[in-house]
Amino acid sequence: MAGVMIVEDDSALRELLRDALEKRKYTVIAAADGREALAKFRPSVVDLVITDLLMPEEDGLMVIMKIREIKPSTRMIAISGGGMAGPGSYLMMASKLGADAVISKPFLPSELVMKVKELLE
Amino acid sequence: MSTRKDKDQADNSQKTPGSDPGAGSRLGALAGGIAHDLNTVITTIYGYSEMALESLTGSPEAAGNIRKIIGAADRARLLTGQLLDLSRHAAREKVPVRVAAVLADTIDFIRPSVPEGIRIMRRVTAPDAYVNAVPAQLFRIFLNLTMNAIQAMTGKGGTLTVTLGCRENVKPIHHDGECRELHIRFSDTGKGMDEALQREIFKPFVSAGKEHGTGLGLTVVADAIREMGGTITVSSEPGAGTAFDIIIPGAFFGTLPEKH
Repeated sequence: MAGVMIVEDDSALRELLRDALEKRKYTVIAAADGREALAKFRPSVVDLVITDLLMPEEDGLMVIMKIREIKPSTRMIAISGGGMAGPGSYLMMASKLGADAVISKPFLPSELVMKVKELLE
Repeated sequence: MSTRKDKDQADNSQKTPGSDPGAGSRLGALAGGIAHDLNTVITTIYGYSEMALESLTGSPEAAGNIRKIIGAADRARLLTGQLLDLSRHAAREKVPVRVAAVLADTIDFIRPSVPEGIRIMRRVTAPDAYVNAVPAQLFRIFLNLTMNAIQAMTGKGGTLTVTLGCRENVKPIHHDGECRELHIRFSDTGKGMDEALQREIFKPFVSAGKEHGTGLGLTVVADAIREMGGTITVSSEPGAGTAFDIIIPGAFFGTLPEKH
C-alpha cells in the first residue's frame, strides 16, 4: 500500500490522521515539524505528504519546496486553519509552491482520505 | 527562537501618530491566530466523532450523543469563522506603514523556503519611508512578487534583487527621510517573458508559471497597488529575467512641502 507522510505539530490531530489513514491500509509516517519530516522523508517510501503550514521549526511551505526538489513525483496536500497573513494566503502560497491540493481546517477525515485516494490513483 | 508562527502574529512596525491606528491590525492578527489554533482542535473533534460513528453498531443513543458533539463542533466552527471575519475586517485598515520593515518581514518569511541556487539581495536607500497601506496587503504584494521571481528562477538558479528608494525624478522631502513617492523594484534573473505575455500579465487568469497558481496573483497585486494610488509596470526579456517597478505615494507626518 502507498506510503503517506503526515506533518502536523498538533499531536492529537497528527494521531487522528494516522488512525484514519492506517484504517484505510496506508503506511503512515508521522512528523511533528518540517525538520523531522525531511529527516524521515529520504529513508522512507513516501508517495504522498500531508503537511500543516504554520509550524514551529521548519514549516510546511519549506517542506513543500524541499520535497518538490528531492522527489518531484511526490503528491502533496497542504492543510491550514488560517492566519494573519490573510485567510487563505498560506494555502495560496502552498498551491503556488507545488501542493497538489489544499484543505482548510476544520475538515472531516473522510474528506482528506478521499483526496488522498484521488491523488494516488 | 523566532519562527514563522511568531512572525505571523507580530506587529508590522507601524508609525502611530495621535491615536493607535495599528490596534485594529493587531487585534485582527490575534483573532486570526486564535482561529487558526481552534480550527486544528475542531478538526480533531470532528475526526474522532466521525470515526466513532463509523465503528458504532447497535447503539442509537451513543450515535445520537456523538452527533451532538459534532453539532457543538459546528457551532465552534461558526465562531472561528467569525474570528476570521474579524481578522479580515481588521486587515483592511489603512495605516502608515514603514515599507522597509514590511519588505524585511517578507524576505525573512520566505527565506527558509528558498531553493538552493537562488539568492535574494535587498538594497534599501529609503529605510524610513512610509506609505498609507493595509500592512497585510503590502506584505501579500511583496510576497507574491517574491514568489513569482523564485518560481521563474527555480531549476536554473539566479538572483532576485529588491530595491527600495525615493523615486529618482521626484525631489525627496527633507525631513525624517520621507519620500514624496517610493520606488520599489523586484528584479530577477529568471526565465523572463516575451512581449505578448508582458502585455497580458496583469490580466486575470494569465500566468507565466503554467504548473501552479490561479493566474490571479498579479491582477490582485496591481489592484492593491492602484488602491494605494500607485502603479506597477513590468519589463522583461526571455532568458534574461523580469523586473516589476512599483511607484507608491509616500505618507507624511509633518506639513507637506509644496511640490518642486
